[in-house]
Amino acid sequence: MFSTRKNSYLYFLVLLSIFVGCKRTPTDNNTQVVIAIPSDVERINPLFSYSVNEANISELIFLSLVKHSWDYKTGDIKTESMLADSWEWNGDSSAITLELRNDVQWSDGVPLTIEDVIFSFDVYSDPVVESYLYGSFKCFYTDNDNHIIAEKTFEKLSERKLQITFAPGSSPSLFNLDFPIVPKHIFDKMPRKEIATAKENFAPVTSGPFTLEKWEKNQAIILKENPKSFLHKDGNVKRIIFKVIPGYNARLTQLKNGEVDLAEYLKPEDVSGLKNTGSLVVASLKGREYDYLGWNNLDPGQFKKNRNIVPNKLFGSEKIRQALSMAINRNEILSEYLHGYGELANSPISPIFKNAIDEKLMPYAFDLAKAKTLLAEEGWIDKDRNGILEKNGEEFKFILTISSNNPRRIFASTLIKNTFKQLGIDMKIEQLELGMLIDRINNKSVDAWMASWIIPIPLDLKFSWYSHLATTPMNFPSYQNKELDALLDKLETKISWQQKNEIYKNIEALLYRDQPVTFLYWIDNIVAYNKKIKNIEITPLGTVHHCWLWQ
Amino acid sequence: MKASQLFLSLIKRLTTSVIVLLLTVSFLFVLVRIAPGDPSQKFLSPSLSPQLIEKVKKTFQLDKQIHEQYVSFLKNALTGDFGVSYSFHRPVNEVIAEALPFTILFSLSAFVLQLIGGLLFAVLAFRYHKKLWDKFLSHGSMLLYAVPSFVSGLFFIYVFSVQLKIFPSSGIRTVGILENNYFPLLFDYAQHLFLPVLVLSLTGLPVYFKYFREHFEESQNKLFIIYLRANGVSERRILLSHIIPNSLNSIIAYAGVDLGILFSGALITEMIFSLPGMGRLAVGAILQRDYPLIIGCTLTVGTLIILTSLLADLIRLKIDKRLVKGLIN
Repeated sequence: MFSTRKNSYLYFLVLLSIFVGCKRTPTDNNTQVVIAIPSDVERINPLFSYSVNEANISELIFLSLVKHSWDYKTGDIKTESMLADSWEWNGDSSAITLELRNDVQWSDGVPLTIEDVIFSFDVYSDPVVESYLYGSFKCFYTDNDNHIIAEKTFEKLSERKLQITFAPGSSPSLFNLDFPIVPKHIFDKMPRKEIATAKENFAPVTSGPFTLEKWEKNQAIILKENPKSFLHKDGNVKRIIFKVIPGYNARLTQLKNGEVDLAEYLKPEDVSGLKNTGSLVVASLKGREYDYLGWNNLDPGQFKKNRNIVPNKLFGSEKIRQALSMAINRNEILSEYLHGYGELANSPISPIFKNAIDEKLMPYAFDLAKAKTLLAEEGWIDKDRNGILEKNGEEFKFILTISSNNPRRIFASTLIKNTFKQLGIDMKIEQLELGMLIDRINNKSVDAWMASWIIPIPLDLKFSWYSHLATTPMNFPSYQNKELDALLDKLETKISWQQKNEIYKNIEALLYRDQPVTFLYWIDNIVAYNKKIKNIEITPLGTVHHCWLWQ
Repeated sequence: MKASQLFLSLIKRLTTSVIVLLLTVSFLFVLVRIAPGDPSQKFLSPSLSPQLIEKVKKTFQLDKQIHEQYVSFLKNALTGDFGVSYSFHRPVNEVIAEALPFTILFSLSAFVLQLIGGLLFAVLAFRYHKKLWDKFLSHGSMLLYAVPSFVSGLFFIYVFSVQLKIFPSSGIRTVGILENNYFPLLFDYAQHLFLPVLVLSLTGLPVYFKYFREHFEESQNKLFIIYLRANGVSERRILLSHIIPNSLNSIIAYAGVDLGILFSGALITEMIFSLPGMGRLAVGAILQRDYPLIIGCTLTVGTLIILTSLLADLIRLKIDKRLVKGLIN
């Protein structure tokens, strides 16, 4: 007979074995894909798709008039039909006539009509709504508040035909029509101001190839196939789960474990471990993000005092900026840290735009001797032999500010500090919390900083390189060049794609010459996905793009 | 001691607590606004128009003076309205109400585990005083105390999730599990919470163990224990009826504060196991400069700390009537 204590031990063991022995419901099967995301989305309403994940989810559950995909052959984007079955531009491309499909319904059964399309343009451009596209409808007839004037813009030709007329002198493209259409019958019955906080942002009425099955806050967003959608195809993925996993290590573990089928932004050092699992494919999305070393082209002290724009004593000269670019061994960072998952950058124009770049342009080579000569030509010489260059009694010293918790930038800045020291430049590194860093860059109070840009598609350079600082707040280095402004303005006129590409090449040459910032390298977005996912195409437009085609 | 005096002292204490909370919130209100960065930073993007940033600043009332914002906040707060979260786009109360139940469940489970575990191990160490078990537990508890939760968390994930595949590595439940199936769902929750609760309790368990063990050791040399022993009362009875109850008083005071701190969220554990608790919510709010949510989280956590501390004192009063005088004074 067992004693009481032995009995307790036995009960405990039985309980434990039941507890651990119960098989968990598997999260993966052949019809669903689990995608790891680092944070939950704020709303599921395309009007407010401020983040990549919100845009990805919106694309799956809301239809746009057209869709875009990447053409590797031409290094450009191609447009395909979606809600609009066909379209026709008028002679001078000042208007377009769209013919809508007649087989699309909202998830509550209401048909999607031209009224929804007109309403969408209206609501996206309404300043009260604060949609993510507010202020972007420059090709349209708008009022002083950037709100589209519907009467001038839209003409309903029939139940399925709509004509859109653009503002005179503008240069519209199908990109101006590529955003998800929202249901008028849902949002029209509430005051525009209340759309931002409406309950429909959490339980949306949708039109896409997927519908929202469930949103477990801070845990997962579950989408299920919409068999009524014209994009639906038997055999394709039935469920897509966006699983919120904040920690990088947790995402990696679950990916290796098979709890997650796809994860992005993986570290190069983890690639071999992922490949060793045998169940994962590792790919990379190239040419969307580049790191740069920003030089404050203006004097921060003078700017703070009275908003005076005076060239920076150190970085105001293009020759010095060229010298600094030559003194950075970017190849070493590429091979040591990125393990080849990146390429040297010449300018903000990504190499994915094959026709817009000058392939003959060679990256600045690491050349300390030449850098020293250029600095000497500008008067920076170490006269007192203390190891630091001087000019007019002032030493060449500055602070490089980077965001904390970014190992890549910490690694790169340490290497740069060492090579600058060899050149006689005293650079100190300061790490700041990202919000504080952005604040200082915005106020133009930093000497130099390291950050990155994720470039928009289609290519847009004006937002960060136009000289007018008041209207171009993202021109962080405060680089001003009238020649460049003229080229950027010309891009907004009616010119052919060939002419545009020539202008891009000229812009690239200017920025390459002036080095307003040191363009460091394009960083690959490393993606790993389960081999079970077929028909997946990772393009510059994204990983989770058109994934209703996944099998 | 008169009940009215006790009631009056309770009212006094609660009033002081409300004033402290108000001062904390007011200080924080100003602090977050004068700190570098603002909530409109996240709208700084190549794909967004600069005009949008100006619109958003107006909506968030960031274009107004701080004192104007403060007056508006106080007026609304008096009606229980703490504003709309900038990142969740829902009332702050609603957002907190979602995270709080999980935090309470999670913290309470870890709290109970560390309290009971600490007590059981202390009893074991006491029973085998200065023998192998005692030495093993004393040294082991020191070692456990020295291991940070992110190390123990990753270790448990590696062993139980990656290698043995017994427990899931993150989340509070399996995504997409059928909700109408009650027992599997309950089981699923338990499986998901096992490792996080264990990790969270491991940091507090050695503290409770030390507390109990030291009190047991102190108690055993007291005159009344020697007297009981001399009268032939069994060791088991001495321990259960005299030593443990006598140790509880000071431990309850500590436990009250500890539980309050646990309620404020176990950020590291929540991050490692991807749990949707108050810690993650508060830190996310700080990083995103979500001012209303920062204030809401602070107020909630502050209230919980005050309440748990008060509850602990009331329990102590129930156990030891001599403390009433001290409380009133």
